[in-house]
Amino acid sequence: MCSIRRTDAGLAKRLRASLLLGALVGAGCPSPPQGPRWQGAGSPTPRRGGTLVFHHESDVRGFDPHTSFDELSNMGIKLLFEGLLDYDADGHLVPRLAEAMPEVSDDGLTYTFRLREGIRFASGRPVTAEDVRWSLERMLHPRVGSPGLTFYTNLEGLDAYRDGRAQHIAGIRVIDERTVAFRLRAPDQTFLYAMAMTFANVVPRENVERWGAEVARHPVGTGPYVLESWEPGVRVVFRRNEHYWRPGRPYPDRQIFELNLSREPAFLRFLNGELDIIHRQSPADYLYLKRSPAWRPYWVQRPSIDLWGYAMNCELPPFDNVHVRRAVAHAIDRQRWARTRLYRIRPTGQPLPPGLLGYRPDLPHTQRFDLEIARREMALAGYTLRDPDGDGIPEPVLTVEMWIGEGPTGQVYGELVQSDLRRIGITVQLKPVSFPVYLRESGKPRTVQSLMTGWSQDFPDPADFLDILFHSRAIHDHDSENRAFYRNPELDALLDEARVERDRERRGRLYERAASIVARDAPWAFTFNSMKLDAWQPYVRDYRPHPVWDNYYAELWLDLPRRRIARQVGGGGTALAWLGWPWSLP
Amino acid sequence: MTRYVLRRLAWALFVVWAALSLVFVLVHGVGDPAAATLGPRAGAEQLREFRRKHGLDRPLLEQYARYVAGVVRGDLGTSFRDEQPVSRVIATRLPRTLLLGALALAFELVIGLGLGIFAALRRNTIWDTGTVALTFVGISAPTFVTGLVFLYVFAFLYGWFPVGGYGVDALDHLRHAILPAFTLAIFGAATYARLMRSEMVEVLGSDYVRTARAKGASRLRAALAHAARNAMLPVVVLVGLQLSTLVSGAIITEQIYAWPGMGRLAFEAISALDAPLVLGVVLVTAATVQAGNLLADIAIAALDPRVRMTG
Amino acid sequence: MMDPRAWRRFRRNRGAIVGLALVGLVNAVAWIGPAFAPFDPSEQLEGGTDPQTGAPVPPGTHLAGRGTLWLGADEVGRDELSRLLAGTRISLLVAFGATLLAVALGVLIGILAGYAGGPTDTVAMRSIDLLQSLPFLLVAIALNRVIDRPDLWVLCLVMGGLSWTTLARVMRAKTLQVRELEYVQAARALGAPAARLLLRHVLPNAIQPALVLGTTLVAQMIIFESAMSYLGLGVRPPTPSLGSMLHSGQQWLTHQPVLVLAPSALIVATVFGFNLLGEGLRDVLDPKD
Repeated sequence: MCSIRRTDAGLAKRLRASLLLGALVGAGCPSPPQGPRWQGAGSPTPRRGGTLVFHHESDVRGFDPHTSFDELSNMGIKLLFEGLLDYDADGHLVPRLAEAMPEVSDDGLTYTFRLREGIRFASGRPVTAEDVRWSLERMLHPRVGSPGLTFYTNLEGLDAYRDGRAQHIAGIRVIDERTVAFRLRAPDQTFLYAMAMTFANVVPRENVERWGAEVARHPVGTGPYVLESWEPGVRVVFRRNEHYWRPGRPYPDRQIFELNLSREPAFLRFLNGELDIIHRQSPADYLYLKRSPAWRPYWVQRPSIDLWGYAMNCELPPFDNVHVRRAVAHAIDRQRWARTRLYRIRPTGQPLPPGLLGYRPDLPHTQRFDLEIARREMALAGYTLRDPDGDGIPEPVLTVEMWIGEGPTGQVYGELVQSDLRRIGITVQLKPVSFPVYLRESGKPRTVQSLMTGWSQDFPDPADFLDILFHSRAIHDHDSENRAFYRNPELDALLDEARVERDRERRGRLYERAASIVARDAPWAFTFNSMKLDAWQPYVRDYRPHPVWDNYYAELWLDLPRRRIARQVGGGGTALAWLGWPWSLP
Repeated sequence: MTRYVLRRLAWALFVVWAALSLVFVLVHGVGDPAAATLGPRAGAEQLREFRRKHGLDRPLLEQYARYVAGVVRGDLGTSFRDEQPVSRVIATRLPRTLLLGALALAFELVIGLGLGIFAALRRNTIWDTGTVALTFVGISAPTFVTGLVFLYVFAFLYGWFPVGGYGVDALDHLRHAILPAFTLAIFGAATYARLMRSEMVEVLGSDYVRTARAKGASRLRAALAHAARNAMLPVVVLVGLQLSTLVSGAIITEQIYAWPGMGRLAFEAISALDAPLVLGVVLVTAATVQAGNLLADIAIAALDPRVRMTG
Repeated sequence: MMDPRAWRRFRRNRGAIVGLALVGLVNAVAWIGPAFAPFDPSEQLEGGTDPQTGAPVPPGTHLAGRGTLWLGADEVGRDELSRLLAGTRISLLVAFGATLLAVALGVLIGILAGYAGGPTDTVAMRSIDLLQSLPFLLVAIALNRVIDRPDLWVLCLVMGGLSWTTLARVMRAKTLQVRELEYVQAARALGAPAARLLLRHVLPNAIQPALVLGTTLVAQMIIFESAMSYLGLGVRPPTPSLGSMLHSGQQWLTHQPVLVLAPSALIVATVFGFNLLGEGLRDVLDPKD
């Protein structure tokens, strides 16, 4: 025991030593960059060549345009495949493999497409109208089980084909080598959007038959790139398609898709110049970009066409009472939400995102934060709010359960709702669940009382939001998409009418009315549309975030050779820098 | 000895089977693989189709029988998520995880045992206290913090290591593995150091070391020659236990360093309720754990012949 | 057991005293601290986030009429210090509960298995094998489904129930070793009752590894809890815990390091304190050297 005294002296010494060590490490520490490390060569016009490196934080399943349907696979599919139609940089439908937009018959039922001349698959074989038909029939075959089916149910003869009563889909007719016609059972204003989805992309039959179930690992299409190599879970390399039909395109020779790269290391690599473009950042990294003047020209923050909200189950008390739902809708302090989320969300109080037909900033019945209204609605619902201590928090009159996604983000939204609803006497108990559980349980009637949920577009049309989220047709015994279980015959009729209406202006008015009804009845408290920030290196040129396709990199070019930007005279590292302070800029 | 090993082997097989069966029930009871794979947009019809294709519409008992029959034939099934044979997916991922795990284990043993012996020999000095304090920090520091800090400081600011990833060839893989392996090793090294130190302290105070020293052997030599073997016993047990993490991978570390190993795979498989893949991972993990325990038990028996062969 | 001599020895052991002080401090933070918390730990303060950027305000920000946020705010604008005080209490509760359970189970099962041998040993070791062969994550997700309403004691049960195996294995090996020692064999041959043998010879040998692994477990449990929060099995938001605060603070590491450093410091203090105390106790109770 005699050595105890020495131990104590050691404690003090050790403290001093570790402080010294910290300072030493700090002093020798290179300072972090205050801006981009590389810049372009300054070419005034687009040039060919170079390799673009981008990433995603998950692993990719495969590149089969007919069965893959997620942001991640789409990043590759948009490089490899094309369909008859696509969108331009402003989100308008344009012909792609088709020579022009299709001719539509007077009854609005037949669409006739003509293929461009000289289009070849990456294998070199010319594309014919027969390929278009074969591809759609493959996608719609029961054995393929494509998630795209719902978008094409209006095709004539689809049921007979799927039941095995017909060899082909009667509604798809090959007229000649380059002409194909589609016939619908009823007019449908979403059909052309469906034809621009990746499900309608054209694939060569022989390749699918050769690889069978594994074709997603061996993609061949008509897109600007072909698959060069694939190291599972690590990276996918795309090489220029030598048979590509657009002269001079694409610009970069190669694109490398780094997989499984999560936000933090991705951002460090981006700062190092090892990644050319990034699309998702941690809050700290996001703030760094937004506050750095040197990075300002190289990022864009753009609203996504999506919708988020707090869905209340209209079949379960207390939310079977419209006044409770309206009270909730008016108690959400959307501005505070936006600030807490660093303005990465844009507040909204209606079911249609801006930019869509039927969106009106001044829509009647738009939900907005107003505690007066919220408390009045609670009173109408029969709940008297008492606040004896006058702190703005009345005594609880209701307890509800709210499902949130696992992880920090889901938790933050849960806590925001919790804190807002406290002010109208509603106690919210949060229940974090995994995604599969959420999908299964919230799709069953009378199961989940309330939840944070969202939807992002399949195509930029109001039907893709209203029909799916609020039409009574989207209620089933399992797997309902109408997770608020909201039913309103008046709305159903309006939506059915709007879906077939060919006059754009009339159609827009119908959707306005529909949106207003949904906002009024408040099956959801609409909360926000999300915003996405894309940042790129100075030598990446002409990149514009695409309004429909997330992370679509086929049109940009690289201003190479890149040059290293001389290091700014940094503030030097300090012990603080070592602790990770450096990114907070002055 | 042979009989003992054979009996242990039979038990090991039983445990693997039991683990597999338990997980089978869990993974099929937890959620809906069809919805999890096809996502929120899938209509009722596609979900039905998916369930039919993968036999999920059959009675659970039949699915189970089919699966077990497949495993016995060496067929682990096909992943729901990417339609690849599970055995092929695991064969790609396992070597990467083994590389990372082996390197981490090496770091743990070298650093942990070294520090433990060092501290014990200098018991109650500032070196000892310093080492012990270091081990507390090591035990308390979560990987998601140390990993990020290391990545930021050593990979990004200093540029000594690559900023995450897996590299392109064997040497490159090793270079990429150093930092994540070190991160992974901190907790284990601290645990080993503390265990080793306390065992060594006890051994150093024991009669035979005193006798050996009286005979003129140096403290270190006496300790190592007579006692280290004794102190190694719990260490061997721990190493055997650790094999499971070595094989099943480290989810958080792999994520921070973008290391494409089994941990990420397992996590994604579980999140997506990809039953065949989950079961494949469980099978490999359970089998390795069993092998590890078996080896550890045999090693213990070899290290300490007084331990009777039981169990 | 604690005779006056032992107390004197303990008092002279400054390491143990430092440990006791640290443990006292952490406990004071946990049990008395919340009473002095400047804010309601779950109130999302109006001035808690920067009006321009929305980032949590830095340490030392003063809110007019409300007080000072000494450690700044967290990402939804709650006072970090108040949360830390409340979170320490929850973390200690959970970590101790789970550790006690794990140590009790581990020591009991390990010693029994090692001492009794035969079928008892076999059953115990096979259960351990089975438990260790299961991926934790999956068990946790499944439990999440089964246990509809996670509560603190459920958390302790789950965490403790999953964490005793390592200790049990070490204890068994140790017991096997002790059992074969000559004096134990002799005592057995002389017909000493098993309970006495276990208490006099086996248990004292078990204290050391139990203390070493047990103090390690406290830290592990606190971090374990953060993983459980992540899986939706931890404490229910908005209740704070050190682990869950650490977890949500992680993505702010480079912007507001205090959100990581503050809970980390408390975790280290807790572990360090308990460990010093544990070592001191061992010296006191087992004055072999």
